[in-house]
Amino acid sequence: MSKIKISTLILISVLILSTSIFLGPRIINPFKLTGAEKEILISIRLPRVIVAVLMGIALGASGAVLQGILRNPLADPYILGISSGAALAAALGLLSGTYLLGKFSIPLTAFIGASIVSIVVGAFGWKRGGLRPERLLLAGIGLSFLFYSILMLLISISSDESMRRALLWIFGDLSIADWSLIPYGFVFITAGLCISISRAKALNALMLGDELAHSLGFSVQRERLLFFASVALMTAASVSLGGTIGFIGLLIPHIVRFFIGSDNRVLIPVSAICGGAFLCLADLIGKSIMPPMEIPSGIVTAIIGSPYFLYLLRKRDVISI
Amino acid sequence: MSSVYNHSILELYNVGFQYFRNKKFINNLTFSVGNGEFIGLLGANGSGKSTILKLASGILKPSDGHVKLWDKPLQSYKNKDRAKLLCYLPQLLDINVPFKVRDLVSMGLYPYSIPPEITVDEALELVGLKEKSESYIANLSGGERRRTFIAMTLLQGAGLLLLDEPLANLDIKYQIEIQRLLRELKEKKNISIIMALHDINMASQFEKVMLIKDGKVLGIGNPETVLTGNLLKEAFDVGIEIKKLDSGETYISYPNNF
Repeated sequence: MSKIKISTLILISVLILSTSIFLGPRIINPFKLTGAEKEILISIRLPRVIVAVLMGIALGASGAVLQGILRNPLADPYILGISSGAALAAALGLLSGTYLLGKFSIPLTAFIGASIVSIVVGAFGWKRGGLRPERLLLAGIGLSFLFYSILMLLISISSDESMRRALLWIFGDLSIADWSLIPYGFVFITAGLCISISRAKALNALMLGDELAHSLGFSVQRERLLFFASVALMTAASVSLGGTIGFIGLLIPHIVRFFIGSDNRVLIPVSAICGGAFLCLADLIGKSIMPPMEIPSGIVTAIIGSPYFLYLLRKRDVISI
Repeated sequence: MSSVYNHSILELYNVGFQYFRNKKFINNLTFSVGNGEFIGLLGANGSGKSTILKLASGILKPSDGHVKLWDKPLQSYKNKDRAKLLCYLPQLLDINVPFKVRDLVSMGLYPYSIPPEITVDEALELVGLKEKSESYIANLSGGERRRTFIAMTLLQGAGLLLLDEPLANLDIKYQIEIQRLLRELKEKKNISIIMALHDINMASQFEKVMLIKDGKVLGIGNPETVLTGNLLKEAFDVGIEIKKLDSGETYISYPNNF
C-alpha cells in the first residue's frame, strides 16, 4: 500500500519537474523549438528550475532530519538561526560595499555567514561532550532573534538601493538564478543529502531516545553531529542559492509523513523530491499568474501549502514527527 | 567453578562513577552476571539502580575500575558488536514514537547486516502482539508498549538484557505477564537478565537478588539470604519483615511504621 503511495508521490514530482521548464508566462512547445526559445530554455528557465529543485531538495530533506534529531515537530531549517545569520552577513557585505566578487558577493557572504552561525549554534548547543537537542533549539531561536533585529536595524537606518535588493533576496528570490552558482549548490546539497540518507537508520533510532539508540549500536553524539553538519551544509547552500523560502522545510516533511509514515529511510528522500517539485511548482505559479510581475516563491508555497496542510491535519488521526 | 553455566558474561570490578565533581555516587562497585542468570536489582528511589544499569551497558563511562563483557573491556567493542551481545531498555519509553509496532520491533535488526534466525513475526508471536503489529505505539496500552520494546530487544538477539524497571507503572496483571514472558525467554533462549525494580514482593520471586543502597551492594544472592529484615531496613529506611505462609509463599509486612 505504502509502496503505491510512494510511487505516486514520486511520479507526480517527476511530472512537475519535467513539464515546468516548458510552462510559464510563455508556453514553449518542446517539439518545435525556435532559436530564441532554445535560448530562453537554456539560459533562463533551466537554471531557474534547477535552482528551485536544489533548494526544495535541501529544505525538504533538512526539515525532515531536524524534526527527527530535535524531536520537535515545529523544527525547520531556519529555526537554527542559519538563515538569519546568512541574511545578516549578506546585508553587512552589501553595506560595506563588497562588490568585488560581482554577482557572487551576496551568495558568498551569505554562505560564510551561514557557516559561522552553524558553528556558533553548535557551540551553544554543546554540553557534556555532545550536542543537546533542547539547547541547540533554544540557541538557534535566541540567535535568530538577535540577527533579525540587527538586520532590521540596518534596513531601517539605510536608504541604500542595495538594501532593497538584499531584502528581496532574503524573502526568496529565484529570478536572479543563473548557471554560475549551480555547481556549488549541487555539490553541497548532494553531500548533505547523501550523508542524511545513508544515516537514516540512526535517525530512526535517535527518535526512540538517546539510550535506546546507544543500545541499538549507534554512537549517539557522532550521529547527531553528522546530521547537524549535513543540515547546516544544505541550508547554507540553499540560502545562498536563492534566499530563505519558508513553509517547505517545516511542512513538506509533515505532509509526506501523513502519506508514508515516519521511517526516515523513506521520509528523507521522498521529502527531498517533494520539496524540490513543490518549490518548482510554486515558482512556476508565481511567475505565470500575473506576468510580467512575479510573486515571490516563498509567498506562493505558503499560500498553496498551508490550507492543504490544515486540511490534512483535520483529516488524520495520528500526528507525530 | 568455571563451567559454561557459571561463566560470567558481565563483570563490573571496582567501578566508580560521579555525576558531579567531588561527589562519588558509585564507589568500588563489584559484581558479575553468570550465563543464564536472572537477577533482580532492588533498591529504593535514588539508590543507583539506573546508574548501575547504564554503567553496565556503556551509556555511562565509569571514572574508576572496569566493565567487562565476555572477558573483554566493554569500551573495546564496536557499537554494533556490543549491540548484538547486550541490550538496555530504559525505564521511560517515549509514548510518542511515531512508529507502528512492526516497524519498531524490526529496528532490533539494525545492528545486523545479515538478519539473525528470529523473524519479526516470531518476536511478535513470543510477546503476544501479532494482532497489533499494524497499530501505532501511541495507541497501545502500557503493557503492550513494554512488550513491543521487549520484542525489539528479542530481535536484537542480545544474550544479556539490562531492563530498567520494566514493571513500573503497570497494573499487576501486566507485571505478572511481563515477568512470565521474561522467564519463558530465559528458559527458551538462555538469556541473562538484570532487572531493576523496587517492589520487594516481586524481588522475592527471583532466584537471585542484588540489594543496593547509595550505589553500594548491601547483599547479593538468593532472596532468603538477602531479603532479611535488617538489610531491607537499611536499604529502604523503614522496618520491613518478610513472612512465610504455610503454602511456602512469602509476603512482606511493615510493622510499627504507621
